[in-house]
Amino acid sequence: MDSKKKFSFTFITIVIGFMIAIQFQTVKEPAVRDTRDTWELRADILKEKELQLKLLREISSNEEKIAQYETKRKQSKERVLRETLEELKMEAGLSEVTGPGIILTLEAVHEELLLGKQPDSVSPDLLKRLVNELNMYDAMHISIGGRRIINTTVIRDINRETMIDGYALKSLPIEVKVITENVQSAEKLFNRMQVSKSAEEFFIDNLRVKVEKSGEPITIPAYDEALRIRYMEPVKPDEGGKS
Amino acid sequence: MWLPVLGLIIGVILGLMTDIKVPDEYSNYLSIAVLAALDTLFGGIRAQLQNIYDEKVFVSGFFFNILLAASLAFLGVHLGVDLYLAAVFAFGVRLFQNIAVIRRILIAKWSQNREKTEKNDI
Repeated sequence: MDSKKKFSFTFITIVIGFMIAIQFQTVKEPAVRDTRDTWELRADILKEKELQLKLLREISSNEEKIAQYETKRKQSKERVLRETLEELKMEAGLSEVTGPGIILTLEAVHEELLLGKQPDSVSPDLLKRLVNELNMYDAMHISIGGRRIINTTVIRDINRETMIDGYALKSLPIEVKVITENVQSAEKLFNRMQVSKSAEEFFIDNLRVKVEKSGEPITIPAYDEALRIRYMEPVKPDEGGKS
Repeated sequence: MWLPVLGLIIGVILGLMTDIKVPDEYSNYLSIAVLAALDTLFGGIRAQLQNIYDEKVFVSGFFFNILLAASLAFLGVHLGVDLYLAAVFAFGVRLFQNIAVIRRILIAKWSQNREKTEKNDI
């Protein structure tokens, strides 16, 4: 037998040994045989049942504790405050909002492009008008070109560039995302925007407003700068309602 | 000659050390594969003793027999017939035959050797 034959033979015997060992391990009987009689088995069952009962009791007491904590947490002032804060933040535009709504796209009119005219930038007056109109028709949250519009947002012309809160608008087309309270009001807004007057005014500036209903919920980013409130003061309780 | 035995021992040790366990529903296949492997092994030993050993036949027979046995068992499970019994039977019979032949050859060699030594003594 030459060495090559020997090696192949050895390889196969290794495989066989491996298989036999695995098979042996697989069919190996449990190491300890169960030799308990009926009464012993009964006693053991009793023991296990007691353990089960104890565990169940523990589980139910823990669940009770959880429920207690839950109610405590719900009733606590902190939670109410937190909720209020969240609501206020959402209203002020400091949190990201997702909901039903419509998407307006401002784009250049193709026909004018064919004539060789460059599309003008969007004038701040038109944008303000659009925002006002949207607000009139129950829009809750608005973003223009990815910038959130809040109550103190300024849209103005700086050096012949339209700026929103000091950020230049992106080039056309510009997406205006609007979130409304629910699907029905989104539908209403969609219908109103299709016949809106501001669309015509945009057309005078060689811009077209495309109104789209979004099947999926729209996400509007949060206002990412600090709010500077300079001329607001909280009303003192005794002064409220006097004026 | 001792190298294959050493291989067998190494294989067993490896198998025991790795602690692999085949799921219950597949242990059937493994058992029949082991049987096929053993059959091939003894067939190889017999062929070696008869001086007709061919490596290709041996190695291919090893893998082919294992696969055939396992697939037969698989088919049996799916047909609802205990087809693996056929494989067990075939391999079992061949195993016995091979071992019988090996025994005869060994006995013949042994008696030859003894005769030789007796002759030499005389």
